[in-house]
Amino acid sequence: MIIERILIFLLFIIGFAAIVAMPNIIKKIFGLNLMNAAVVLLFILEGSRIGDQAPILGDGVKHIVDPIPQALMLTAIVIGVCVSALALALAVRLYKATGSLDINVITKRLESEH
Amino acid sequence: MSIETLSLAPIYLPLLGAALILVCKSFFPTKIRRLAEYMGTILGLGLPPVIVLFLYPTLQQQGSIDLVIGSYAPSIGINFSFDGLSILMILLAACVTIPTWIYSRKVGPAHSNFTALVLIQNAAISAISMTSDLFNLFVCLEVMGVVAYVLIASSQKGNAVHASFSYLMFSSSAMVFFLLGVFGLYRLTGSLSYDGITQGLAGLGPSEQKTALFSLVLLVVPILLRVAVMPLSLWLIDAHSKAPHAVSALLSGVLLKIPLFALIRVLHLTPLASGMGLPISWAGTITALVAVLSALAQSDAKKLLAYHSISQIGYVVSAWGLALHTGLETQAGALLLAASLFHAFSHALFKALLFLSIGTTTDCSGNRDVYTLRGANHRLRQEGEVLPLTMLCYFIAALSITALPPFNGFFSKTLLTYSLKGGWQYAILSVAGAGTVASFMKLSRIFLPSKQPFEPIVKESLPRFPFTLHLGLSILAALCVLTGIFAPNLIFFIGTLLGGAYALDYGNQFFFSASNLLKTLYTLFGGIALFALAVSKPGSKVLYRLKAMKSSFSDLFLGFAAAIAALLLMLLQH
Amino acid sequence: MKALTRMKIMLTILILGLAVLPVLLSDTPWPVQARDYLFETAKSDTGADNTVSAIYLGYRAMDTLGETLVLLVSITGTMSILINLGRNKVDEESIGFSLEPEKLPRHSLRTNLIEVVASKLGPIVLLFGLYVMLYGHISPGGGFQGGVIVASGIVFLALGTELKTKLTNTIVLSRIESLSFLFLVLASISGVFFESGFFGNPVKSLQNISPNFIILLNIIIGMKVGTSIAVMCIAMMGGSHDH
Repeated sequence: MIIERILIFLLFIIGFAAIVAMPNIIKKIFGLNLMNAAVVLLFILEGSRIGDQAPILGDGVKHIVDPIPQALMLTAIVIGVCVSALALALAVRLYKATGSLDINVITKRLESEH
Repeated sequence: MSIETLSLAPIYLPLLGAALILVCKSFFPTKIRRLAEYMGTILGLGLPPVIVLFLYPTLQQQGSIDLVIGSYAPSIGINFSFDGLSILMILLAACVTIPTWIYSRKVGPAHSNFTALVLIQNAAISAISMTSDLFNLFVCLEVMGVVAYVLIASSQKGNAVHASFSYLMFSSSAMVFFLLGVFGLYRLTGSLSYDGITQGLAGLGPSEQKTALFSLVLLVVPILLRVAVMPLSLWLIDAHSKAPHAVSALLSGVLLKIPLFALIRVLHLTPLASGMGLPISWAGTITALVAVLSALAQSDAKKLLAYHSISQIGYVVSAWGLALHTGLETQAGALLLAASLFHAFSHALFKALLFLSIGTTTDCSGNRDVYTLRGANHRLRQEGEVLPLTMLCYFIAALSITALPPFNGFFSKTLLTYSLKGGWQYAILSVAGAGTVASFMKLSRIFLPSKQPFEPIVKESLPRFPFTLHLGLSILAALCVLTGIFAPNLIFFIGTLLGGAYALDYGNQFFFSASNLLKTLYTLFGGIALFALAVSKPGSKVLYRLKAMKSSFSDLFLGFAAAIAALLLMLLQH
Repeated sequence: MKALTRMKIMLTILILGLAVLPVLLSDTPWPVQARDYLFETAKSDTGADNTVSAIYLGYRAMDTLGETLVLLVSITGTMSILINLGRNKVDEESIGFSLEPEKLPRHSLRTNLIEVVASKLGPIVLLFGLYVMLYGHISPGGGFQGGVIVASGIVFLALGTELKTKLTNTIVLSRIESLSFLFLVLASISGVFFESGFFGNPVKSLQNISPNFIILLNIIIGMKVGTSIAVMCIAMMGGSHDH
């Protein structure tokens, strides 16, 4: 019960640490994806505790899991993917403009150009 | 066409306009595309304010129009609630977006994508101002955010893309924390609508109240990030100064304020949450002062304006926070909220005007440095401007922001500082007012005659002074003047929109009373003194050191952590 | 990395970890009101057996509209950045998405095997994607899932050899995309004229609710998602299939 939530917490913190601590911008984007994945897993895992069958009605289906977290997370996954795609395109553009993928080097080169 | 569907028109009309524009873009050649753009804009930007004003009498009778999207049961569907605050936000967005769009026709980003994105942004703004559902707020904030990231990066220059990237990473990670807040509240109450959550939170035990508090803080701080209160405001400087001019005007004018007023409904979810009003209010006051001092140190014209955006939002947030702290039902609370709304409205108008006029000026002169640019009007005339309209509009906006009569800034700042009377916040905001005067004197020096002979600059192929540019600037300037002259009526209107328990009757006698005029005079002299101090040798050394402080990417997140820690510590003491 | 920066980062992670932990570890039992309500009424309100589809295409369709908007805006932004990557001057009114054939050098990993297998698998994946899209109301699936599978099918076709179909032509795909967005907005407004409110099921007044509205929404969303993502992937591959 609790071990799963601790693992999800670790996944979340690792994703956040990647965003803040890693200088490579592609790794930062991966960190954002990890954070999103952790939250999605959390919602779905916790929502599944109140039932044991998939939320599709039919004959003999009595105890379905909570469908609301699943529907919310469909939206959240799509939003996360779209933002990641945009971030990756921006990263490619930054690489083309400055020749580096390290955020500190990028900042310095853009400032010196100005 | 029932009242409910009419109140949702500000959402689907812009979307319909955007869809039409995008279809015509894929299928038809350029001429029909232009036509489709204009039709889409009239449909999406022009109709909604008209419809909203048409609904105002119904609102006066009923108080608010509550509905569920799709007419499903309220416990499971998405609840929307259209009230006076929604009308105000939709009108604010329309008043800034329409002149900015007109300005951008020849000068700014002028393709169909830009118009479609602006329409989608307006639809998202209208949805945020009406929503009563937590997850819908998340989705609409993300829509507004994604449009902002794309618009900032639209000029494709390295600086703009870098600014957009930092803003994207910061804001998206904050929204993941928002999702965790939604998780916490849904687990405790089983509902996603504000009414359901309020009912659920009312009957909780003490340990669950603590979890509710953590979830609320995780909800509030990501929204405050978009409002750019310190310490969450480091993203704004790059994002607003490196974006194209029309985009800066839209961002500073509209996008900074809408989340703040949508937060009012969130902070009414539980009585615990109104304890957040006071710390946020103090954060706003300190923001106002620190940002203005940083603005005084800047050399880039647009960065100076971006710091001023932060400072003025600090004013708005101070009054807003205090309004929530004293309670909106009391007379003092209603006055504070109306003052902060009026200042937000005025700021939207004069800040958009500032960005557009300074943007035009620096483009024509090819130089953004405030210390070296002189003789700007001469250069504007060299580029083909017949009447000095840009300079006139700039001065109208500058006089508004420094709070001189008869422009709207004078009325809004006077009302705001009056409502905060007595106490440290009043003093700090007065000093910030002097700082504003000083830094605008510094900025206005670009219109002094140039000492050097005129050097020819490289012309781009676009015509510089099309009619639409002047039209956009003039509409904003006219609105600044009109909202100033009719300020008492406007304040009364805002008061009735907010619930109307207390009539806000502040006429010209109040604004032009001896004490207020004297205070304005003191602020003016203080500003001149501060300016003299800033251009002197020791002053400029201090300012140079201030300007050289740079913030890195990880500092953004440190600010985020600091804000969450501060709010949690203050709330857990009760 | 300097010591001060390292300390700031550690502090940030520590504070945020501590702020998030109570929310994650709370022991409140998960609420059952929503599940019980949906178990009773999802079929009669929306006609769908899949309660998740009933939620995100029926009760909370506004969120789906917002999600589609995020997709639309981010794909627009990504495409405009990718198109302008090869050019120095920003082109303001590029016609649709017709890309310059930026002939990327053929990567050594794009072997004959991939090209042959991908072109043969493409139609099968498309068929599977259409199945997932259309059966969203009675089995796990729906517009988004099916749309992404359709997009990958189109990418397979674009990766393969011998096939120069209209389906991998970016102009045709972007036309389908904008039309499906228009249809989505029109479908959401249609409820207004049938008295079930914005985004309501237009045939609500009938006795037995059929899932037709949900199937229609699934198809529209599937088309939109599939064609947008396919256009973006083809653009990233070099847009080698213009006419």
